[in-house]
Amino acid sequence: MKKNMYDYGFVALLSLLGLYALTNFYSYMDNYEVAILVSSVAGFSYLGIKWARFKYFFIASFVLAFLSIYLYQGDLGQSESKFLLKYILSSQSAIMWMTALFPLSLLIYWFYLFSKKEFYGNFATCMVWIAVVFASAGLLIRWFESYLIDVEVGHIPVSNLYEVFILFCLIASLIYLFYEEKLNTKKLGPFVLIVINAAVGFLLWYTLAKNADVIQPLVPALQSYWMKIHVPANFIGYGAFSVAAMVSVAYLLTENIFWRRHLPAKEILDEMTYRLIAIGFIFFTIATILGAVWAAEAWGGYWSWDPKETWALIVWLNYAAWLHLRLIKGLRGNILAWWSIAGLLITTFCFLGVNLFLSGLHSYGEL
Amino acid sequence: MSSMRFAISMLSVVGLASIIGTVLQQNQPYESYIVNFGQFWFELFEMLSLYNVYQATWFLLILFFLVASTSLCVYRNTPQVVKDIQRFQENIREESLKRNKYALEIPFKDFKRLELIDFLKGMQFKIREKKINGQDDLIIAKKGDFQKLGYIFTHMAIIIISIGGLMDGNLVFKLKESMGIKQIEMQDKPISEISKKSWLEISNFSYRANMLLAEGESQDVAVIPVKDGYLIQDLPFSVSLNDFKIEHYASGQPRSFESDLVIKSKKNGEILTRKISVNKPLTFEGVTIYQSDFQDGGSRMNLDLINLHSIAGPLNMKAEVFKHNVMIVDNKKVNFEFEDFRLFNILDIGPEKNKKPKNVGPNFRFKIRDEAGQAREYETYQLPMMVEDRYFFMSGMRNSPQEDYKYLRIPADADRSLEGFTIFKSLIHDGKKIDKAANQLAKKNLIETKEVSQDLANSFKAIFENFVSGGYNNIAMSIDSNVPEEKQEQVASTYIKIIHLIADQLILDYQDNNPTSTPFNFDDVTVFSQDALNGYSDSFFYGSNFWVELRDFDHIQASGLQLTKSPGQFWVYLGSIMLVLGIFCMIYIQEARLWIVRKKGSKKITLAFASNREHLEFEKFVLDTKDKIKRFYSH
Repeated sequence: MKKNMYDYGFVALLSLLGLYALTNFYSYMDNYEVAILVSSVAGFSYLGIKWARFKYFFIASFVLAFLSIYLYQGDLGQSESKFLLKYILSSQSAIMWMTALFPLSLLIYWFYLFSKKEFYGNFATCMVWIAVVFASAGLLIRWFESYLIDVEVGHIPVSNLYEVFILFCLIASLIYLFYEEKLNTKKLGPFVLIVINAAVGFLLWYTLAKNADVIQPLVPALQSYWMKIHVPANFIGYGAFSVAAMVSVAYLLTENIFWRRHLPAKEILDEMTYRLIAIGFIFFTIATILGAVWAAEAWGGYWSWDPKETWALIVWLNYAAWLHLRLIKGLRGNILAWWSIAGLLITTFCFLGVNLFLSGLHSYGEL
Repeated sequence: MSSMRFAISMLSVVGLASIIGTVLQQNQPYESYIVNFGQFWFELFEMLSLYNVYQATWFLLILFFLVASTSLCVYRNTPQVVKDIQRFQENIREESLKRNKYALEIPFKDFKRLELIDFLKGMQFKIREKKINGQDDLIIAKKGDFQKLGYIFTHMAIIIISIGGLMDGNLVFKLKESMGIKQIEMQDKPISEISKKSWLEISNFSYRANMLLAEGESQDVAVIPVKDGYLIQDLPFSVSLNDFKIEHYASGQPRSFESDLVIKSKKNGEILTRKISVNKPLTFEGVTIYQSDFQDGGSRMNLDLINLHSIAGPLNMKAEVFKHNVMIVDNKKVNFEFEDFRLFNILDIGPEKNKKPKNVGPNFRFKIRDEAGQAREYETYQLPMMVEDRYFFMSGMRNSPQEDYKYLRIPADADRSLEGFTIFKSLIHDGKKIDKAANQLAKKNLIETKEVSQDLANSFKAIFENFVSGGYNNIAMSIDSNVPEEKQEQVASTYIKIIHLIADQLILDYQDNNPTSTPFNFDDVTVFSQDALNGYSDSFFYGSNFWVELRDFDHIQASGLQLTKSPGQFWVYLGSIMLVLGIFCMIYIQEARLWIVRKKGSKKITLAFASNREHLEFEKFVLDTKDKIKRFYSH
């Protein structure tokens, strides 16, 4: 009964937030954006009801974001003079905190894996939670900052490689945290955090070497409500596939007696890989279809065999085959684990390699 | 053919071919492939249609086989799936129920058959009842039939999507081409001269064509690029462009591309006036019109040709982009072919690490073709650009499109104009002024006798005039041939110093004589004079005697439109929706079967469970259901 109270409270809070946004910014939105806002309120409410900790994560991110907005007082220059903004609550500082906390939690997870002391496991999980709060607050603040530069520059921060790498860290971590709680094991953290930290490493290099963190205005092709749906849906897919690959690594390690003592049972790992790939596959399918619909509107054709499209198709075929073999042929075991690891390579190429090595219509994130 | 092995191997080929298509840039001009691969590989790749893999006959054939194979698969399996859905496994033996992995016995006081059935129905089970051995009760319950429908949905979806895709492909054209009814046009010619064989009629039901429309122009056909040629697509309407607009962000990057179009139907003369922009296309009579790109539409320019190497005054030229503009220079025909004019140019400018996008103003590109037909390409910016804290007029030159531009930098004067350089050029060609400057310079240096001083002045003058006739290159050549090697460096630096000093002196003298003149109002005019000397010297490698200066212009733009007729789109979207539903059914619907047996007179029931997917989730479901039934009986 008490749990219900929280749920109602959360839904009420989200609805209020949504209403606030609608009443204040309605004139800036088109109908699609209103629909997206309403479905986000519904979607996040659902997530919050299904997953208690998501509520706290959501509220924490928004509190930080609103605090930051309050501190900015409509002037981007404040980030240089106000201590809180400069060191914690400007988007760049928040992201920096995120990039510091992820490696830390990786270390603690590994320590936990071998020491088996619950305290370290909880500590690591806690660090990841703080990191994702910083990631999502950082993105929210960045969204706001883009409007501070100029109202016409303002846009949702999922428009270039820098921003989507943060989104990737955020989503992959949330997916992991969900299953950590659901399957009641923290022993996969050491593996999953590797792939997240790889993304963090790239993000750091990209920020320091290429000044990628500067907010750029949107090119005309990206100015569409579709971006708000297509990109996040895609990254739920990428995130789930990446986490699945790391679980598969753990799966393969259980062949070894030494590792078997430290890792969850094979069946759990197998089940988790399946569920991750399944959820990733659904979102990736939806994202690709939405991408096609957007392409039909922006580029004049739902499919142009652009390298990104083609590689998305290859990724899709790869996981379709994986699911086929598992669901229809009933295949289990090492082959599927290796396959899911190989899937990560293909996914990475689609996500990053295409931008690095091939040119095409999706060239928003060139290095 | 309906085997999965066949399907998977076909899919692998599609995957591989797709990868080739992403690695090898598609639909480039064929010359660039020849340059990259050489003749042999070019021909081999062309034979395999690797330059347009996705339209290649073999690729379409594989897709076709995939569709056929999937259709066969659906055709064969659907009756079984339907049967499975209708069927309740009634003829199950007691033995196998007892051996069931999930078997459980639950005691009860009262069987409550009807309530139990209602209870199961409440749990979304479908129920069938039966008597076994003529006396015992058997309840067969099952749920999650949609999971099986998921298979059919996904496979049907793939067939529908593929058919939609094939509808929008160029199969019909390929067929007509192979029968000789249609033919790709390979040459660039006016539309009126293009053979009807290369025209596609209005009735063509699917195409993606391009139209380049200049402001004020009107067209009623579009161009479909095919391989290294093209086809003409007749349209059901004419399109005219009233205005093309690019809006910019404060930082200079483009914010929007918009075309004001007037569309007139050929059928009933209906007129539609509309603005389209990126992400906001317009559909008219089944054809969707997109803003895709833009370029120059024949801008008119008023230009001055400034001779870099002589004091002759500028030649005026009125030119148009895309037109050949012939000038007679020294009794020779020089052809200026203007290719582009851009009003805005956003370049990343600034010190390394802190480059910022900035609009550097208009530029224009042109080729200069001599009588022999040789052409060099030029790219000139109208406004001076800041380089190393000074302003320069920039013009790039290259001998072929494969090269990068090499830039000639002419310093802007204190008024940011070319005037200073023009004066400078006239000064360094003026023998008397050079005499005077050389004399002054000689006097400033060691003065022993008048005679020595005069000799010195003469040699200064000679060095300077040598420079004027060919730049630093001339100086280097004369040092090379006249000075022993060990002294060359020392002499060179002396010569350069002399040239600098004379140039400075020329400007100072000019300033003394024209105190009101402003071009040389610099804090330190020597910086300008050195830049001007460098620019003058480099201009001997510019490949042209003329600096082309833009005086004014009339900017005419052309909007690149894409016109699409895509009847397959509906089917592709329909298939996509089915695909998502199908996947959802397959993955998230738990298929389960439950048997409940009660022997006649017995005070307990036996449960047994089965599913086609017995993983952890199913085990949880079984435990859950058992609990619920236990509770049902414990009340």
